[in-house]
Amino acid sequence: MMASNLATNYRNSTPAAALDKKTLNQMAWRSLFLQGSFNYERMQAAGWLYGIIPGLKKIHTDKEDLSLSMQHNLEFFNTHPFLVTFVMGIVLSLEQEKSDVATIRAVRVAAMGPLGGIGDAIFWFTLVPIAAGISANMALDGSIAGPIVFLLMFNVVQFAVRYWLMHWSYNLGTKAIEAITRNAKEFTRAASILGILVVGALTSLYGGTTIALTIPNGESPIVLQNILDGILPKLIPLGLTLGLYWLIKNKNWSAVKCIALLLVLGLVGGFLGLF
Amino acid sequence: MTFSFIQILLVMIVTFIAAIDQFSFLESLYQPIVMGPVVGAILGDMNTGLIVGGSYQLMMIGSMPVGGAQPPNSVIGGIMATVFAISMNITDPQAALGLSIPFALLGQYSVILVFTITSPLMSKADEYAKNADTAAIERLNYFTMAMLGLFFSFVVLAGLLFGQAIGETLTTALPIWVWNGLKAAGGMMRFVGFAVLLKVMMSNEYWGFYFAGFALATIVDKSGLGGQALALIALIGFAVAVYDYQTNVKMKQFGKKEVSNDGI
Repeated sequence: MMASNLATNYRNSTPAAALDKKTLNQMAWRSLFLQGSFNYERMQAAGWLYGIIPGLKKIHTDKEDLSLSMQHNLEFFNTHPFLVTFVMGIVLSLEQEKSDVATIRAVRVAAMGPLGGIGDAIFWFTLVPIAAGISANMALDGSIAGPIVFLLMFNVVQFAVRYWLMHWSYNLGTKAIEAITRNAKEFTRAASILGILVVGALTSLYGGTTIALTIPNGESPIVLQNILDGILPKLIPLGLTLGLYWLIKNKNWSAVKCIALLLVLGLVGGFLGLF
Repeated sequence: MTFSFIQILLVMIVTFIAAIDQFSFLESLYQPIVMGPVVGAILGDMNTGLIVGGSYQLMMIGSMPVGGAQPPNSVIGGIMATVFAISMNITDPQAALGLSIPFALLGQYSVILVFTITSPLMSKADEYAKNADTAAIERLNYFTMAMLGLFFSFVVLAGLLFGQAIGETLTTALPIWVWNGLKAAGGMMRFVGFAVLLKVMMSNEYWGFYFAGFALATIVDKSGLGGQALALIALIGFAVAVYDYQTNVKMKQFGKKEVSNDGI
């Protein structure tokens, strides 16, 4: 497991020069491919790293620093795809300042979490129904303007949000940096608290694993999931996360080994009708 | 009606792009209102494409891919419904959509497969990152997108060449428990991501906050505010974090004063 022996600080601790507009725009463009390597384990992690590579290359001229930055930016990541540049701007401002890895990670996790609901509300629940409602009726009348209007409405908003958030949040981050570095240790601690709170919340909200096992009991069969929910709702997601944490930390299991275990568990469970 | 080689090739290319677009790039090209007329134009009947795509789009409003849930795949749904409406001369969009359902299911299976295959590839990505090999990370991102595009193109190719019956045959090629198992495993793999994050972020003093976050999320979710849960919890977390920060900064300043007073 690579993450186990990551350095905690960048070797070159001198803040890098501010990123130019071109690099920021380049990253906003690349943010379109955030979900390119989407997968069940780390979700958008590789796409996230892909997006910020132009900035990281400018900031970390030391190859070992670039390696360290790339490694910690490959950890679990998931946010709303249309709002990701907000997280990019903040994280890049911290990378530029050469903050320690724990701070950058904590801020990244704390920032990515809350955006999901906001993005869904803006894009999927508001923009798409409006754009689709107008344009679908044009299409039903046989008008080619239907799809064109739909694409224009959706993408004008999407690109405006992506580019504007990128610049706004990068400037916000660079302005806040002075206050952050003045009390760096205290800030890292506070950000870690928020970050870990978000990971705890994710464990419950993203954890949908349930068991479909019933024990025959005459008229009223016992549904195992109901019993588990009676003890603690989302007990299985919590138990699995803590179990995997134990395997990784104490038994030195790699992520791939954990994935293999879950695949076997899933397939065997699927065969037995456990899920 | 049979299709020419060029038509088949063009539909495959369009499918390839739409498959990628459902998660990356514009995230709007793949919508039936766009795919319907495009595929219709390739097959020589754009009007039918507009009507099928428009009707499907209206049906879909309100059932968007939200919060990681996987609806029967609308990319292949829109494309194959248009193909069948034109090739079989079906005037009722609903009937054409019905015929596309097995293919939409195959699209869903393709997504499950790609998301599963890409999970162990992440350890390869770790290696690239360790070597600071930015080009390799970029190639990986393009490779996984192409993989998804190809899976989808071949599902559509099967439909174009062998007609509607092949959909049923292919969906039953693997027993349903395999798909259920893969889906369940996929749902559990994110816990690996969480566990690794915990490993690098956790120290003993923080465990309470992890469980507090878990408990808050479960309560907020149960109250029917699942979509807003993380934003609400972040607000509570923000209060805790700011309080902790200010307390510690004050303690630091107080500590400094003590020292300097001792100096006098």
